Amino acid sequence: MSNASMISIQGVSKHYGSFQALEQVDLDVAQGEFVVLLGASGCGKSTLLNLITGFDHPTSGRIVVNGRPVNKVDPNCGMVFQQYALFPWLTVLENVGFGLKMKGVPKARRNEVAQRFVEMVGLKGFEDRFPSALSGGMRQRVSIARVLANDPDVILLDEPFAALDAMTRQVLQDELLRIYEKSRKTIVFITHSIDEALLLSTRMLIMSARPGRVVTDIRNDLPMPRNAEVQLSPRYNELKSQIWKTVQAEVMRSLEATSH
Amino acid sequence: MNPKNPPRASLLATSALSVLVFLAIWELVCRTGLVDPIFLPPPSAVLAKGWAMAEQGTLLGQVLASARRVMTGFLAAALVAIPLGIVLGTSTYARAAFDPLLSFLRPLPSMSWIPLSLLWFGITETQKYSIVFMGTFAPALVYVIEATRNIDPLLIRAAQNLGASRWQVMKEVILPGSLPQILSGMKVILGLAWTCVISAELVAAREGLGFLIMNGKEFFQTEVVVLGMVLISVTVLITDFVFRQIEHRVLRWQK
Repeated sequence: MSNASMISIQGVSKHYGSFQALEQVDLDVAQGEFVVLLGASGCGKSTLLNLITGFDHPTSGRIVVNGRPVNKVDPNCGMVFQQYALFPWLTVLENVGFGLKMKGVPKARRNEVAQRFVEMVGLKGFEDRFPSALSGGMRQRVSIARVLANDPDVILLDEPFAALDAMTRQVLQDELLRIYEKSRKTIVFITHSIDEALLLSTRMLIMSARPGRVVTDIRNDLPMPRNAEVQLSPRYNELKSQIWKTVQAEVMRSLEATSH
Repeated sequence: MNPKNPPRASLLATSALSVLVFLAIWELVCRTGLVDPIFLPPPSAVLAKGWAMAEQGTLLGQVLASARRVMTGFLAAALVAIPLGIVLGTSTYARAAFDPLLSFLRPLPSMSWIPLSLLWFGITETQKYSIVFMGTFAPALVYVIEATRNIDPLLIRAAQNLGASRWQVMKEVILPGSLPQILSGMKVILGLAWTCVISAELVAAREGLGFLIMNGKEFFQTEVVVLGMVLISVTVLITDFVFRQIEHRVLRWQK
């Protein structure tokens, strides 16, 4: 089961005019993997995510998710945005039940499912609040619950914790790990934090800019279940310095490229 | 005490005082014979006239006649403009198709429709409704289109990503998301609707506040003219207040 390919990216390039956002990306993500795309800004991480969700279309190549070629926005790839993207006029429970409402699930059933996921992300008691009454960390929890309630094949997260303070970020990282272990969903997560990548992933892909492509594919063999304490282990630091060398070289290279 | 934030009571007192001083000066100017009451009656005379007419039962009917015309025309315009504006705001082709017509209609003041509407409908209620509709529809549509433009595109993406169809995006995201701006636009449109009704009534009507004013002028009853003006102002303020309450209820999700 875990060997089945969930996302298959085949020779994908994406150009915006003469700008090459992505060049010949080939990538297979197996079912149940937690893949972190790591790279400096401008390396095409978000472009890749937008192609997987169907928000954008590749200039060449193709993308297949769970056996279906992607050619329009696909609810089977649930997206968690950095800016939460919650509907401000809906309560927490209504936000979480939004996807089910779109599917025509009756209200009682919808609220029941939404309630389960609201509790899963630790927001019991906040069901009737509006997003404006929640902190950033709570909003992102709602956003994660909203995607989970829709039961997608793949969950995509675009720097979801980047706007949060360090403490909240750590709590949410632990929660995401717990949710991953419980749901065994395939996850693709974007970040530019090496620590975040090491803490969460089962596999890390380092991307480089100009043109955007995957330069290194590293298996993260830190044991699961994990929590923040894994950061103290020797293996963690070994992996971290290995990644840092690659990333550093890439960052230097792209800095040089921009200065010319 | 913070000078930038004086207590509400003292602000209210200042406003009340300002009104009283204004009324006193007005009264005084008329009483001393500085101004002929045929041009400007004192506020006490206006009040007395209003009281007398209210007692005869001839006043409320005028207010209600105008208010009914305003509400009917306004609601008709809003009911067409809101859904149409959402479609036009989201579809570039629909927009391209409607834009020329809209650009033609928009600069036309409601007054300019009066002759045609009189020809078509005569001095009837339908004619009043049509004036309000024609005077408010195009600006209302523009407000709605503008409102849909300001929706965070990320919310539309999020909805699509959660499986929303094109129609569902309009109904579940664009409509509620632009509602605050649509409602504040409609408040302006409601004021415009009053202008339309009064101008229609000034030209040709058998009842209503505009008729009251015009009739007062015909018989040199200046206090009736001023009374009509005061009543317009008061009625608009009341409708505005009611509208604000509705707005507050509907938009309780806003901070």
